Amino acid sequence: MVTSMDGEQDWEDVKPRKKRQDDIINGSEEEPDFSDPEDFEEDVSDSEFLADVLEKKPKEADGIDAVIVVDNVPVVGEERLGKLKIVITKIFSKFGKIHSDYYPEFEGKTKGYIFIEYEQDKSAKDAVKGADGYKLDKSHAFRVNLFSDFEKYKNVTENWTPPEKQPLKDVGNLYYFLEDEDCNNQFSVIYEGGVKTGIFLNTAAEPSLLEQRERWTETYTRWSPKGAYLATFHAKGIALWGGEKFRQIQRFTHPGVQLIDFSPCERYLVTFSPMQDPSRGDDIQAITVWEIFTGLKKRSFHADMSGEDRQWPIFKTKYDGKYFARKAKGVLSVYETPSMGLVDKKSIAIDGISEFFWSPADNMLAFWIPENNQIPARVTILAIPSKKEVRVKNLFNVSDIRLNWHKQGKFLCVKVDRYNKAKKANISNFEIFHIMEKQVPVDIVELKEQVIAFAWEPTGNKFCCLHGEAPRISAMFFEIKGGKIEHLGTMEKKQATHIFWSPAGQFVLLVGLNSFSSSQLEFIDTADMTVMNSGEHHMVSDVEWDPTGRYLVSIVSWWEHKIDNAYWVWSFQGRLMRKYPMEQLCQLLWRPKPKSILSADHIKKIRKNHKSFSKIFEAKDRLLQSRVSKEIIDKRRSLMEEFTNYRKHCNEVYQHTTPYRRELRNGVMTDEVDYQAEDLDEVTVEILIEEEETILNDKE
Amino acid sequence: MRPLMLQGHERAITQIRYNREGDLLFTVAKDATPNVWYTINGERLGTYDGHRGTVWSVDVNWDSTKVLTGAADLSCKLWDCETGKVINTWDTKSSVRSSNFSYCGNMINFTTDRQMKHEPKICIYDIREPSDSEPALSFVIDTKEMSKPMCSLWGALNEYLITGHDDGTMAHWDLKVGGELLHSVREHTALIKDMQLSSDQMMLITASKDKTAKLFDAPSLNLMKTYKTDRPVNSAAISPIRDHVVLGGGQEAMDVTTSNLKEGKFDARFFHLVFEEEFGRVKGHFGPINSLAFHPNGNSYSSGGEDGFVRVHQFDESYFDFQFEC
Repeated sequence: MVTSMDGEQDWEDVKPRKKRQDDIINGSEEEPDFSDPEDFEEDVSDSEFLADVLEKKPKEADGIDAVIVVDNVPVVGEERLGKLKIVITKIFSKFGKIHSDYYPEFEGKTKGYIFIEYEQDKSAKDAVKGADGYKLDKSHAFRVNLFSDFEKYKNVTENWTPPEKQPLKDVGNLYYFLEDEDCNNQFSVIYEGGVKTGIFLNTAAEPSLLEQRERWTETYTRWSPKGAYLATFHAKGIALWGGEKFRQIQRFTHPGVQLIDFSPCERYLVTFSPMQDPSRGDDIQAITVWEIFTGLKKRSFHADMSGEDRQWPIFKTKYDGKYFARKAKGVLSVYETPSMGLVDKKSIAIDGISEFFWSPADNMLAFWIPENNQIPARVTILAIPSKKEVRVKNLFNVSDIRLNWHKQGKFLCVKVDRYNKAKKANISNFEIFHIMEKQVPVDIVELKEQVIAFAWEPTGNKFCCLHGEAPRISAMFFEIKGGKIEHLGTMEKKQATHIFWSPAGQFVLLVGLNSFSSSQLEFIDTADMTVMNSGEHHMVSDVEWDPTGRYLVSIVSWWEHKIDNAYWVWSFQGRLMRKYPMEQLCQLLWRPKPKSILSADHIKKIRKNHKSFSKIFEAKDRLLQSRVSKEIIDKRRSLMEEFTNYRKHCNEVYQHTTPYRRELRNGVMTDEVDYQAEDLDEVTVEILIEEEETILNDKE
Repeated sequence: MRPLMLQGHERAITQIRYNREGDLLFTVAKDATPNVWYTINGERLGTYDGHRGTVWSVDVNWDSTKVLTGAADLSCKLWDCETGKVINTWDTKSSVRSSNFSYCGNMINFTTDRQMKHEPKICIYDIREPSDSEPALSFVIDTKEMSKPMCSLWGALNEYLITGHDDGTMAHWDLKVGGELLHSVREHTALIKDMQLSSDQMMLITASKDKTAKLFDAPSLNLMKTYKTDRPVNSAAISPIRDHVVLGGGQEAMDVTTSNLKEGKFDARFFHLVFEEEFGRVKGHFGPINSLAFHPNGNSYSSGGEDGFVRVHQFDESYFDFQFEC
């Protein structure tokens, strides 16, 4: 039925056409007359009839999209107009070929805004993107807009209503984890070869799982410096999680992201992706700076993968997030937030700059320049943004320099490696800059051996270094007291390669982390320079102090070592508390905590009244302990009961089958073991097996 | 107390077994010579000479008159325990992996490997019959349906046979009807290396490459307990007197040379039978432990390792004093 219908329709369709063809062939159709009759009145307007054609008609506004309006241009007289034009043209021709410009004038002076017309619309758009906010000088920052935008905003209809207020996305208290009653700390663990990620709370008996998700991250995770956010890595970008339920708080799209760096203030995030997709144009760039709270891209940068930018973080942020700095060949670029513009519009030229670090507490940074021909190596402390050199020191015969800021920025330790005279072995010394003192005096600590590791005490003025060559490594401890460096002590013959200070200071862990070392963990109290305890965690690959300095975990990561993946929890005194084997454990990170907001006096007071507090805590611990052990005992009791019942049943069966067993063994009863070791006496019997007589020949 | 070191084998120990009274210890190794020792002082009583390849298994009958060995030289041999003379040799098409006396001692079984295109076979003989007689029962395991058996045991009262397989399966075979598969369970994820019964034959402990040992109710193969370690387990035994089990194993033999001693973890580990908690370790071997056995009186245990040593450990006073709080 259906097919016949279709057929009919086709037929009908075809017929008229065929007829027309026939008509044409036969020439029977008359030439039509297209002219309107005289009294004809058009009832269709042009716009309706020729809409598509009219669209293409050139308009006054054509090319208007290629025009930009630049505000905040300096007001100048005729005499300087030429100069201004040159500057402006130079800035704006970066975005494309300029077709024309117009500088409106009033009483012989420019009006402070100009019009620029590009040859292409795209150039105008780029100029808006690229030059808006450009700082010509201190008082002139360009505002660049498309000319067509003015038109657009002028023609806002009357019934325009402001957009509805969006409800504030309440992410909850991002620092809720600080309110834990027992002040337990959280940590994140990636395990099962990266499939599972879990957040644990380090509670008394054993860690309790707070959250566990499969494939939460594709590679690894990072906590933000104050612990508010957990960053997970994905092919498309970075996701930040936080709050009590670990909900997603922010997302940053950056395909192929590999490295990230939070600013210390948690306001900005720098992401790096080596994947540069040319098809996406210049939209995608290797390094992007994001504002975390809004999720907005602040600025993108290219990365020079071959040379200067191979060290992460490329951008270093000042402790308060005010400045970002980055070094390139021969220059140091300092960007200020929130505009992300270069400070003073230009980078600081520093020939040969090798490495720089922000002071953790002041408006300054330190950098060094290696030796070059006859020019000695140089360490400089530079104030930002004034660019004043606070202190410069020249150093000779230098092979390498490492800069280490004291955690409160009071000192800068410069480790200087020098060749000895034969240019064979390296020897090191430390140059300690006393930042807080006038003219920044420098003290020198000679070591005469190569330094393997160096670390400042996080809370005090001590530092520790490992020097020498394996297996004869010595650990030296110093303290800066009243502007003088005191040698606290030296521990010889250590096998450590790394130093980990407790975040609370005073205690330090020395450990060997490479596979050739001993995996020995040594807990040292620097107050009296004693080894409190030592232990061994075979093949340990990572060590992490908890942020309060009460516990330490040693980790054997699956990324480093394929078997025995586990984390062990130690007390700060070096007592091994518990071992947690975990299948393919990859990474364990403690959730950081922000700095205490208590004043120094307050902390002092707490220290003073320590005993009265500790009593309360001890009582609490005891209670907890007894509760835990009671739970275990209860569990054991029920297990035992169950098992006893099972055995009772077994015994019944066994008794029941005794006759059969006896029968199988020819009536001999063998259920009881009749062997008694005590009944046996060991007797030593000597038997003469053979006797041989040999006569010794007398020589004579 | 210092353990007795039995040094008589040239190569890795494959299995050790006590006789019923526990005065003798039978050991077999990858060398061709089974040994028998006095457990009281570690003196070697004698050897059983005749095999020409790795001996995989050994058993002794309940009245210590006969010894049964299964070897990779394609034979299973029955020996006179006292004289060391061969009573009978059963030639096979592939290596003999496990061999056991029945409870009554009149029957023996052995299992063969899948080798040279021969499917694994389970054979049962009545040793009272003339030496050249046909097996009382024999059946082939089709490896398309079931992986090869790695160990075997006689169930209580000779009624059934238990096998542990390459893929972690355990099976019950009925012997009355003639080799019918009664049921099978797969609680392990990897090869079962060893199975041992409790002294009353009601419970069964398995040792597996999946790093666990498991306790089963022998008649039903119901899983009761799991003992977890971080290394392959090669052998496990149940104490005849206390609620303890001992596990032995370690890093695989082929990886041992590439890792150090501590990493291998060649310790014998003691677990509580019921609570599944580890409470003690005994160090000593410098290769994986391949076989473990409790002395029938429960006062000592022995272990044989890949290092070729057999160590006889007498328990200290503290072992007997130790009690779990419950």
